[in-house]
Amino acid sequence: MSQDMEAMIRKILEDMQKGTPSPVSAVAQSSTTERVATVADYPIAKKHPEWIKVGNRSLDDITLDAVMSGQVSMDDMRISPEILKAQGQIAKAGGRDQIEYNFSRAAEMTKVGDKRLLEMYNALRPYRSSKQELLAMADELEKEYGAVICAEFVREAAENYEKRKKLKGDN
Amino acid sequence: MRSKRFEVLSKRPVNQDGYVKEWVEEGFIAMESPQDPKPSIRIENGRIVELDGKRREDFDLIDTFIANYAIRLERAEEVMAMDSRKIANMILTPTVPRSEIASLAKSMTPAKMVEVVSNFNVVEMMQCMQKMRARRTMANQAHVTNVNDNPVQIAADAAEGALRGFAEEETTVAVARYAPLNAISILVGSQAGRPGVLTQCSLEEATELELGMRGFTAYAETISVYGTEDVFTDGDDTPWSKAFLASAYASRGLKMRFTSGTGSEVQMGQAEGKSMLYLETRCLYITKGAGVQGIQNGSVSCIGIPAAVPSGIRAVLAENLIAAMLDLECASSNDQTFSHSDLRRTARTLMQFCPGTDFICSGYSSTPNYDNMFAGSNWDAEDYDDWTIIQRDLKVNGGLKPATEDAVVAVRNKAARALQGLFAELGLPAITDEEVEAATYANGSKDMPPRDKVADIKAAADLMNRGVTGIDFVKGLAKRGFNDLAQSVLNLLKQKIAGDYLQTSAIFDDKFNVISAINNPNDYAGVGTGYRLEGEDWEVIKNIPNAIDPRDI
Repeated sequence: MSQDMEAMIRKILEDMQKGTPSPVSAVAQSSTTERVATVADYPIAKKHPEWIKVGNRSLDDITLDAVMSGQVSMDDMRISPEILKAQGQIAKAGGRDQIEYNFSRAAEMTKVGDKRLLEMYNALRPYRSSKQELLAMADELEKEYGAVICAEFVREAAENYEKRKKLKGDN
Repeated sequence: MRSKRFEVLSKRPVNQDGYVKEWVEEGFIAMESPQDPKPSIRIENGRIVELDGKRREDFDLIDTFIANYAIRLERAEEVMAMDSRKIANMILTPTVPRSEIASLAKSMTPAKMVEVVSNFNVVEMMQCMQKMRARRTMANQAHVTNVNDNPVQIAADAAEGALRGFAEEETTVAVARYAPLNAISILVGSQAGRPGVLTQCSLEEATELELGMRGFTAYAETISVYGTEDVFTDGDDTPWSKAFLASAYASRGLKMRFTSGTGSEVQMGQAEGKSMLYLETRCLYITKGAGVQGIQNGSVSCIGIPAAVPSGIRAVLAENLIAAMLDLECASSNDQTFSHSDLRRTARTLMQFCPGTDFICSGYSSTPNYDNMFAGSNWDAEDYDDWTIIQRDLKVNGGLKPATEDAVVAVRNKAARALQGLFAELGLPAITDEEVEAATYANGSKDMPPRDKVADIKAAADLMNRGVTGIDFVKGLAKRGFNDLAQSVLNLLKQKIAGDYLQTSAIFDDKFNVISAINNPNDYAGVGTGYRLEGEDWEVIKNIPNAIDPRDI
């Protein structure tokens, strides 16, 4: 990946670590520690169950009994941005840098609701959106969800769709 | 006068297959096309400005995406300057570590990668695959479908497949609106056969993601990428939309891989005069650049195209090998039917079967061929014993285990009963005892009583509208006394919180321990290293039920 891109991602990830206030605060909210996960921390479910928070509970609290008594809903069964970040670090430590970048986008997307996320994907398909619409979506990602990495990714798509005529009306 | 010999030969199954000569201009060439780009890279100010003979201003979407994301610049000039044959020999040499090869591969351009791999014959490629496969332990994947979308049969076949060793099981639909029921059926059935098996339902991209978000499925694979911009556009996506989708999956804790394969661009009529392998290599670089952990490739549903041209089956192995070199999980096809000849379909599969891949088939039909809704598979349920006996003959782990009739009947019955209970709990059309009995003993849908499909489809839509999720499956199974299955479905949902199975080549054992390229990395480094079929695995594979014990005679 290009050095500019890599530098930007590094910077954002570092900011996440430090819990720097806006615009990445949405992602950084609960990352208080400075730890960087490695392959030795894998699998997290076995080696670091304490890293996994399900609301204010732990993974072990999600039992069949808890489900049966109505204490667990599908909304609880969500991966946190912190775990995605840790899995990204593990992937990188295993030599797979691009997976970390993917998971860093994913960490941001945890804030976006299912319906909106599906709409955003569809908006990125060819001939669906004008450049302005894509740029507005990038702004929404950045401002409403603190999704800086995703926002940059969508802006890059908008530029390239314009060049290669993949915007609304180009077909 | 007609030669009697030729008369006989003309009737052989192999002569019912279609063959064509190469046609370079239309991309009807498997690999090594004179029109393939020559490897080159030029980097200015930390940015690729020329890739494989093309300048950045001339890049299409795919070139740009690859240049921006898929190639590590750090060693690029060094690796590009290395002799391709020398690199090929390093890959082949057991003592050069896999990690060093993966490091070199990161900095190659697509054309360089193709040039390196084109040096190999198939035996060398198999040796390289044995070393480069990401996960140390090989596995296999099943297709579980039927012409009627019969849910009870799906559950029973999934249970049997899981018992027989498949680590992943994939369903799809004959009628699209059946999807939620098929997804539930394969999920419940798989866990009845063996806890920890991952299941998916192949659908249109957005629908597939929605089912995953709601806990109907554990992973996804039908996220296709293509090697030319025109075909990618026709596929209704771009590298950016597909990469965004990949992140969307990860954001819900769902495993996913992309799908691509040689021949798809030719089939869609826009190969830009490049070889099939070169275009497929671009797909693999898009996958790598998107940060997706793996790929289903090996021509897949386009296998008829490379199989028709010279060196086509070699190209299919080459594309699997390139996936492994790029450190991607490789589910290596061996799925769609391509030949009338049993010899030819077996020879095609030995390329992946012998060295082992992350998933040798993607997938192997767990039903008779007439029930396979992925247009038939190269292997089906009626080949189960052929597969397990070839494993035993060659002392090779092909990901399956021999199974006894009693054990198969028992898990099929359990799966059918569990689904019967869950359907009742979810308010879905009843599954009768007659259907449970039929599914328990069925070979295919011809052995199943008909269901009211209109009622099923209506109920499926209603189920989605009611907002039913995986948690409801857990509750329903437990209420009907299937606590072990309820626990397994819950465990699968919990994996989405932990994210361990998002890592490369991840599967689960029956205790939900994750097995991936992170904690089970391929450590092949020559004779006596890497995965060896020995100990308990070998005991299981060699003990086919129909072997006679000479001491008993």
